[in-house]
Amino acid sequence: MTPTILVVDDDQALAEMITIMLRGEGFDTHHAEDGPVALEQLEEVNPDVVLLDVMLPGMDGMDVCAKIRETSGVPIIMLTAKSDSADVVQGLENGADDYVVKPFNPKELVARIRARLRPSPETNEPQVTLIQIADVEIDVPGHEIRRGGTRINLTPLEFQLLLTLALKPQQVFTREVLLEQVWGYQYKADTRLVNVHVQRLRSKIELDPDNPVIVETIRGVGYRSGKAVTPPEATPSE
Amino acid sequence: MMWRWWREVKDILAGPVRFWRASLLTRTVTITALLSGVAVTVIGGYMSLTIQSSLFSSRLDQVVAESVRTSNQIQAIFDNSVTPQGTIDVETANSSAQTAIRTNQSVPGAGGFAILRTPGQITAQTMTSTSTSGLDLEILSTRLRQAVVQSPDQLHQQSVGLTVEGQVVPAVVVGSVIQVPTAGSYELYLIYDFSDVQSTLNLVQQTLIVGSILLVLIIALFTWLVVRLAIRPVKKAAQTAERFAQGFLDERLNVRGHDVIATLARSFNEMAQSIESQLVRLGKLSRLQQRFVSDVSHELRTPLTTIRLAADVLNGRRDQLDAESARSLELLLTQIERFESMLTDLLEMSRYDAGAVNIDREPINVVEIVQDCLDQLAPLAEQKGSPLLLEVFGGYGEVEADPRRLRRIVLNFIGNAIDHGESRPIVTFIDSNEQAVAIAVRDWGVGMDEREVSRVFDRFWRADPSRQRSTGGTGLGLAIAQEDALAHDGRIDVWSEPGVGTCFRVVLPRSIHSSVNDSPLPLPPETDLVDVEGRLVDATEMSPS
Repeated sequence: MTPTILVVDDDQALAEMITIMLRGEGFDTHHAEDGPVALEQLEEVNPDVVLLDVMLPGMDGMDVCAKIRETSGVPIIMLTAKSDSADVVQGLENGADDYVVKPFNPKELVARIRARLRPSPETNEPQVTLIQIADVEIDVPGHEIRRGGTRINLTPLEFQLLLTLALKPQQVFTREVLLEQVWGYQYKADTRLVNVHVQRLRSKIELDPDNPVIVETIRGVGYRSGKAVTPPEATPSE
Repeated sequence: MMWRWWREVKDILAGPVRFWRASLLTRTVTITALLSGVAVTVIGGYMSLTIQSSLFSSRLDQVVAESVRTSNQIQAIFDNSVTPQGTIDVETANSSAQTAIRTNQSVPGAGGFAILRTPGQITAQTMTSTSTSGLDLEILSTRLRQAVVQSPDQLHQQSVGLTVEGQVVPAVVVGSVIQVPTAGSYELYLIYDFSDVQSTLNLVQQTLIVGSILLVLIIALFTWLVVRLAIRPVKKAAQTAERFAQGFLDERLNVRGHDVIATLARSFNEMAQSIESQLVRLGKLSRLQQRFVSDVSHELRTPLTTIRLAADVLNGRRDQLDAESARSLELLLTQIERFESMLTDLLEMSRYDAGAVNIDREPINVVEIVQDCLDQLAPLAEQKGSPLLLEVFGGYGEVEADPRRLRRIVLNFIGNAIDHGESRPIVTFIDSNEQAVAIAVRDWGVGMDEREVSRVFDRFWRADPSRQRSTGGTGLGLAIAQEDALAHDGRIDVWSEPGVGTCFRVVLPRSIHSSVNDSPLPLPPETDLVDVEGRLVDATEMSPS
């Protein structure tokens, strides 16, 4: 099945060029020129990845991003003309999975789209079905997080991030390693991606995000998950 | 020894001298007190002298008048003591004369008299010389006695020191001659104690001194009050001006009344207002301009992305193009790259201009970063025929710096060296000390003269516009590198001589707390790898890294 990409950009020429380029790479593409159209199309075409320009007329890309996140966990890659920290961080905080700065290298964009499409290698391997960290249960095959039977909505990327950490409880992951294992980047990318996503994840799963117990920060090194109540090793299926 | 002593004195004086210079109030009060002290001393001295002389002279007049009276009276007593028979009981007359003298001496304090027989006369009888008991006749000088004897018609006076109860007090002796019938001439000395005059004078002088001191103190106090009152608005103005200079542009003075201080305050306020509005206008202009540069750079990015994508798509079908189209595409791609790096540099520059730059310090290894940069530029250097050498004296320890910016600085140095290095070797030096780490890049290429060196950090300035550039520099490289160094509290220095070569050196502090006062590397650093002509000393061992 060809992956479908929804390109949201008001610049006709750029949108068309991206479309041509992505078709050449074997993707199916749809184009939306502004926010409201993008939200409609999201329902209709059910894309695998959304490419979202930050600067859109009317409804700005950040709002569109937040709106999409209300209903869907679809991977979102922001296209931004500004590499300034504030802009990038705001986009990520609004729920984007990743960002590329214009003018981008086409190969890099394609690599990032593929990284978002590819199911992470980690999820295929483990035979673990259930991990419990603190009071949160991770249902690996069901791609679900529960606290006391209540489901917590996570985007696929957030789930992947949590799962990567939880599969090796108490092991510290550097940001670079997380970029490689969760985002699938071999090259040096922006480690702010990790920081912002950890914060988003915490705001969803931690009871007190200021004193996290599920995803802990190891200063100067990286992150690790809290102690597993049901360690993955204990599962008999291994 | 001398200078040490002088230094100690200077050290001791340093505090007061500084205070003296710093405090207008102290200075004014001290000077006023000193000057009024001098004035009061002069006036007081004059008053004291006048009082003294008039006191003495009036007393002296009194004494002289009394002496004349006494002398006449004594003479009369003796004259009247002569009996009708022509005889005289001199001793009886003498004792009544003494009684008369005692009654006559009205002056308070220790006085006295002496009736002494003038020596050297032969008479019918002799009267006993008498004097007040305890009177030391030594005080009657020979000169006085002679003068009295020689001109008996006159009164003679002399100031003497009279010893009373162990203390010497001023006194005046008045001498005259009386003729005692049948007994010849006798000298009469009346001694008057002036100690009461002296004590009056002392009292007056004490009063004068105490009064003067009080007066000076009061003047000093008033000066202090008045000067303080006058200085306060000036002080306030000075403080306000200082704060204004520190950047608090809305500082203003209160205007009260119409005096000179009010004029000062008004003028200050007008000046401040004018400066503030100018600054605000300039700031607005500068922000607008930065905003413009930033906006333009951002706006250009979208079309540039489209162009780049299009070129890339074409590039994917390169084999379908004829040779000239393929070459055109190649040119297009390289120029897009160049355009991109220019936009990036412009944005970076506008960020520095806007002061919106945060450096992300992290512990890094300088040697590793330089090695990375050398590796990155090695193909280009090889193409230009410049061997890249690395000489590391130190700098292995960790340095807290922004790796992206440090890399940018080093790449820029080496890139420039390759561009202008005339295919001669390029040596990169690294050294460090406790405070700082330095990286220097030396080439043996064309070099620059002084004028060129002074402009080397100017934006878009190029040493020789006709020179072919291979690194695709934007003309902003060194300007950005300098800002990068400054953002780290570091600095970049350059040495260059036409035809000899160029050396750029960056010195960065090891951490935020260090300083770059001493560079670990001289400029340019000495090396054994390359001789002065720019030839490798031992080409077999030194290969490009």
